[in-house]
Amino acid sequence: MTELLRADNLVKAFGSEGGFHIGARKQPVRAVNGVSFSVTTGETLAVVGESGCGKSTLGRLLLRLIEPTEGQVHIGGVDVTQMSAAELRAARRQMQMVFQDPYGSLSPRRTVAEIIAEPLEVFGIVKTRQERRERVAELLEQVGLPPTLMDRHPRQFSGGQRQRIGIARAIALNPDFIVADEPVSALDVSVQAQIVNLLQDLQEAKGFSYFFIAHDLAVVRHIADRVMVMYLGRIVEIGPKRSIYTAPQHPYTQALLSAAPEPDVKKRTKRIILSGDVPSPSNVPPGCSFHTRCPLAQEQCRQVRPELREVAPGQTAACHFAEPNPIKLPVSAPAYAS
Amino acid sequence: MTRPLLKISDVSVEFGPKANAIRVVDSVSFSIGAGEAVGLVGESGSGKSITSLSILRLIPDPPGRIVSGSIEFEGQDLLKLPANRMPEIRGRDIAMIFQEPMSSLNPVMTIGDQIAEALMLHQDLDRDARWQRVIEVLSLVGMPDPAARLGAFPHEFSGGMRQRVMIAMAVACNPKLLIADEPTTALDVTIQAQVLELMKSIRASVNTAILLISHDLGVIADLCERVVVMYSGRIVEEGSVESIFSKPEHPYTRGLLQSIPRLDDDRKRLYQIAGTVPMAGSVKKGCPFYARCDLRVDKCAAEMPPMFEFSKQHKAACWVTGEAEQ
Ligand SMILES: Nc1ncnc2c1ncn2[C@@H]1O[C@H](COP(=O)(O)OP(=O)(O)OP(=O)(O)O)[C@@H](O)[C@H]1O
Ligand SMILES: Nc1ncnc2c1ncn2[C@@H]1O[C@H](COP(=O)(O)OP(=O)(O)OP(=O)(O)O)[C@@H](O)[C@H]1O
Ligand SMILES: [Mg+2]
Ligand SMILES: [Mg+2]
Repeated sequence: MTELLRADNLVKAFGSEGGFHIGARKQPVRAVNGVSFSVTTGETLAVVGESGCGKSTLGRLLLRLIEPTEGQVHIGGVDVTQMSAAELRAARRQMQMVFQDPYGSLSPRRTVAEIIAEPLEVFGIVKTRQERRERVAELLEQVGLPPTLMDRHPRQFSGGQRQRIGIARAIALNPDFIVADEPVSALDVSVQAQIVNLLQDLQEAKGFSYFFIAHDLAVVRHIADRVMVMYLGRIVEIGPKRSIYTAPQHPYTQALLSAAPEPDVKKRTKRIILSGDVPSPSNVPPGCSFHTRCPLAQEQCRQVRPELREVAPGQTAACHFAEPNPIKLPVSAPAYAS
Repeated sequence: MTRPLLKISDVSVEFGPKANAIRVVDSVSFSIGAGEAVGLVGESGSGKSITSLSILRLIPDPPGRIVSGSIEFEGQDLLKLPANRMPEIRGRDIAMIFQEPMSSLNPVMTIGDQIAEALMLHQDLDRDARWQRVIEVLSLVGMPDPAARLGAFPHEFSGGMRQRVMIAMAVACNPKLLIADEPTTALDVTIQAQVLELMKSIRASVNTAILLISHDLGVIADLCERVVVMYSGRIVEEGSVESIFSKPEHPYTRGLLQSIPRLDDDRKRLYQIAGTVPMAGSVKKGCPFYARCDLRVDKCAAEMPPMFEFSKQHKAACWVTGEAEQ
């Protein structure tokens, strides 16, 4: 297994330059706050975590779609953060992004064929109009859309159809590395199955690596090799999928897993409902940033920030109490459980 | 049941020039009782959003239009109402959470002002009370530090936070019917659980009825009593959550339920319904699921099946399972 990507101590602070709050003193938001990890060739690293914890920002940093405040990203041994604009453009062939908001990321004035073919043209992969239409048709078919629609505009498509246009564009160049930001969230489960299978087939055939942002834990369980759990801009746990799902060590990971709804009316059961306020990313609590909601928090947690440390082979967690046995959280049955 | 709160009868929607219009919603009928929660599920592109937009008469016209049917809300046909009466109904009686949070929020207005504006149109509150209510609804949707975020613009929020702003705007006025189009797709499971709780609590406190569009069948199972399943512009199955999830009668619904990745399974590949979805309006005759169905017989290609009744609570449009039942 060779290392394809490495992120070292990435930080992104927003709002240190502009006004985020009116009235109140400006507080920069540290959306990503000292994140380090690596991805190997052909691997899928899935990222989960609360809304607003910095997943999309991290994905954008990896491809340098935004500039980091601190830290480096190496892809294939080359420091992406030091590349010139021209080098970066050339490197884009190897790294692509599927955006979370399919509407905002597809230009409304262009046809689907133009949108999907753009990267193919930029890199001179298709030369004639005929070639272009053939490749676009093939890509549309792969994502389960009829090729006859290639001359339509994005607004004529439903939410899930647009999402698939974004996926077709991202896989067009056969990149090494794809940041997929909630790529299947807008899809019904049958189309979702089709896309997840497609992403896995491409990975097998071409050795793609994925940085896969998702909140559906069942999908993550299906597609990931390793899982990274984020909370307020930091990694709180990372490890092989099996360990994360069967022996989660961080209390936040445990709460997350217990909150996943299951499509079974009889299973409306035991969620760990987190109490306490969700802290604001512009005002991160001292000590462990999860302590305000953690059912196990002790004095130590309010004072000292726990570092990531190995709790099982390949699995690291940032919790003072994540050792040696996985913690059993008190499970409160929610009021609505039938 | 007495008169339902909302009764959609035989609604069809077409797009494009009249001469070769594409019918994306085809003779859809269903109703929602006061305080009831109904789930709308179905293949991507099957017409769920268009159906819900037609309730509020928000279909972009041109190129789209509602070509037939009626939509009765509290006994009054919304499709016959003068257009200038609609704004009064939107937001106050019927609120909608749109599928695309970014394109439905105003990018140059702070989120505090946007929610306050929604309140101002429909509720008689003085300025201070209004701001209090804005902060209150934002904290109900789990927004961290809501008072400090009133002055932020939509682009300063993450995807899920924008979705929560939309939810806050929709519930602010205690509507009689809440239409929620994929309200939790951008949310992680803990916030999702919180939003589901919020929807349950407004149901309990002000008896709001809910039309929930979601592809997350776990969310549907959690919140709804009834489910309507769409495929290629048509309703193919309808019934109580219990009976549809335990005994689906339409082959599409069966395939859909089989495609769900489960938390406790380690299959190498996900089950996938063979073939691809026909484009809405492309199947002119017979059952739209025909080409992908393992139960198909000749009759299915020739004639669209009617809704067969499997029980008082359960109907499905399939010749094969339907006739076996009779
Ligand atoms: N341009 C910006 N200006 C100011 N703050 C920003 C900006 N972009 C993101 N943020 C803030 O950074 C934090 C992380 O945002 P990000 O979009 O990365 O979250 P996320 O984990 O992807 O969430 P979601 O699951 O909701 O998509 C949020 O608090 C958000 O408000
Ligand atoms: N402006 C338009 N012009 C032409 N066709 C359109 C237009 N808007 C939507 N459609 C078509 O109408 C059909 C139904 O779209 P709708 O948005 O209702 O689907 P949906 O069921 O909500 O799907 P999703 O789950 O992907 O959101 C789709 O096939 C879409 O391509
Ligand atoms: Mg995001
Ligand atoms: Mg939709």
